[in-house]
Amino acid sequence: MKKNRLFALLLAAVMLLSLLAGCGGKPGGDDSTKDPGPGGQDTQKPAASVELNVVTSYGGDDGNRKSYENAVKGYEDATGNKVQDASGTSNEEWKAKVLTDFETGTEPDVLFFFTSADAEPIIQAGKVVDVATIRAEYPDYGSNMRDSMLAVASDGKNYAIPSSGFWENMFVNTKVLSDCGVAVPGPDYTWDQFLADCQTIKDKGYTPIACSLFEVPHYWFEFCIMNNGTLASQLDIPASADDAVGKKWAAGLNDIKDLYERGFFPVNTLTATDAETVQLFGDGEAAFLIDGSWKVNYFVDNHGDTLSDYAISYVPAKGERTAGEAIGGISMGYFITKKAWDDPAKREAAVQFVKHMTSDDVMSTFVTTEVTALKNGASPAGLNALQQAAADANANITGVIGPVQDAVSPECKADLFANVQNVVTGAMTAEEAVASAIALN
Amino acid sequence: MNSSSTLYKKKGPLVVFLVPAFLFLVLYLYYPFVQNIVNSFSNITGLGAPAQGLNDPWWANYAALFTDPKLRTALGNTVILTVCTVVFQVGIALILALLVDSIRVGAQLFRTLYFFPIVISATALGLMFNLIFLYNGGMLNQLLMNLGLTSQNIDWKDTNHFMLTMFTPVMWQYVGFYFVILVTGLNNIPQDLYKAAALDGCVGIAKVRYITLPLLRNVLCTCLVLAVTGALKVFDLPWVMFNAGMPQDQGWLTGTYMYDQTFNRGNVDYGSAIAMLIVVLGVVLSNVANRVFKPRNDL
Repeated sequence: MKKNRLFALLLAAVMLLSLLAGCGGKPGGDDSTKDPGPGGQDTQKPAASVELNVVTSYGGDDGNRKSYENAVKGYEDATGNKVQDASGTSNEEWKAKVLTDFETGTEPDVLFFFTSADAEPIIQAGKVVDVATIRAEYPDYGSNMRDSMLAVASDGKNYAIPSSGFWENMFVNTKVLSDCGVAVPGPDYTWDQFLADCQTIKDKGYTPIACSLFEVPHYWFEFCIMNNGTLASQLDIPASADDAVGKKWAAGLNDIKDLYERGFFPVNTLTATDAETVQLFGDGEAAFLIDGSWKVNYFVDNHGDTLSDYAISYVPAKGERTAGEAIGGISMGYFITKKAWDDPAKREAAVQFVKHMTSDDVMSTFVTTEVTALKNGASPAGLNALQQAAADANANITGVIGPVQDAVSPECKADLFANVQNVVTGAMTAEEAVASAIALN
Repeated sequence: MNSSSTLYKKKGPLVVFLVPAFLFLVLYLYYPFVQNIVNSFSNITGLGAPAQGLNDPWWANYAALFTDPKLRTALGNTVILTVCTVVFQVGIALILALLVDSIRVGAQLFRTLYFFPIVISATALGLMFNLIFLYNGGMLNQLLMNLGLTSQNIDWKDTNHFMLTMFTPVMWQYVGFYFVILVTGLNNIPQDLYKAAALDGCVGIAKVRYITLPLLRNVLCTCLVLAVTGALKVFDLPWVMFNAGMPQDQGWLTGTYMYDQTFNRGNVDYGSAIAMLIVVLGVVLSNVANRVFKPRNDL
């Protein structure tokens, strides 16, 4: 009986302890070594093996996942440190989760994140360390990058060391185009030619445009508003639906509606996922796809045998825009958090990690045709057919600008893109959709 | 007997056992609940962002509940789901329980088979049903085309079909749960009653009508209360299949709409107000269900 009571008490104690487990302390570190003293200038050497918590967007089915894993392994082998990787797939949910982790004090040591307005909450909260502060102790931190390409935060400081950039442009299925007797679009491709080509492709029984208007309408939105404005005015934000920029946005939405009404999108574009429509393109059932540089590796991994069936081309232009003008830039970079910086056991490890991940050698495994901030440029090894096609297309790019969606609040963006389906079906007008989104910015 | 009375006289062990559970409830239920009430009156501009004082007016989110067309859609769909749950989940479970109860061989096998969907995670089921209802190359579309029942793919998630596509997996998943409860209830009915009824010529449908169903009433009532309250909480499976109100904002449920407002739109205060509405609805509906389906002690 006494044994039973003892056992019961022990069980209750274990339950109580398990309940409280994780409520205190910091993951992956020894608290006894964590007081850096005033100013955080403790120069104590890191422990033999430091466990570094890292969050990036190289999770899931990201095209650079393998390169990332190899780079992390290289860092671990070189330093003896361990990386606890909690990477995810970049989307609005992932961004919200990252920001929430910072709010709740469970942020990682190193974060690979957007350098746009998305990062402002953690910058303004003083949760990440600026590059100048890090360089005061580690002068060669990010020294292989062009400083002019480091993102500038609202306080005028640089916080992130840029990684590879991106471009968004038109992927074409050359096999489908050939079967339909349509030429691969060149840098002088016009909107009217595009509409005619789409009709030809549709009449042949193919889907002209692979796009999920439910999930990723932003690719077409960016180019359609550029078609109704200019490259220089791409990042202008409307103050109301009635001003010039608001009318430009509405005109862009109406262009998407026109494509929808002509039946150029997949039949299930309002219910399909991005993965489904990309699959449609990959399987040779659709002709055009606007996507980003990250999609190149997707095709290499999933359609390696038929890579020559795809090419990177140009998004059709109208108005003042030329087809050689595209969306692109460097929108992400590595941040070191204040938590890691203030932890002498992790400071060195975090700096080493970022330096390793942004070194010329490692960056060259990520960069193929993307924009890069490396002073020496990237040296990607042997481009495959699709990467070569991208490089050829990029050689004719006459202008690049970042996406306007990065310049508005997440709430505005979510509302605008969620209403694209309502605009194309006539449930609301383009002007109403713009007004609704702007009210949330 | 002596030892148990000693146990109840000494309050120490009771406290030791109750404190962890109490702490757990306070930390993970009562505190978030109270905080949620506060949030619903506050002005919160983003997920994880601190509140910037109270809304102006402080009841603004609750007023918005009455004018939000998407919330009306969500409430309508949730009511339909609740009715479908009662009719189809409990109804099909009752029919299956009666059938399995009437066979001698293989009853245990059917119990396991029908209960199996319960142990699979809703997310996995959602992904599986996504493949079944897939537009291009989905199992259902392939089957229908091979049987010659349709000449082209059907978009099972469009405005004409989404209700069927959303509710079918939810119904299917929980039929087994009510089936097991009802089979257990059937096993508790004394066989002597059936034997006596059989001597009087009461067999087949009459046996079910006059003996089984009346004696199963209390168990059925419990199932119905569980079904009504459970339908209000359905979230995971529809979210995996119909996130963001697909199609065209017609597929919202109260749970999915609350999640979208809070986590995708960053509209945390309004999401909190919707959560409060769900709580109130849950309390009211469960009370109504408890009164309507009140078990009788004379059975």
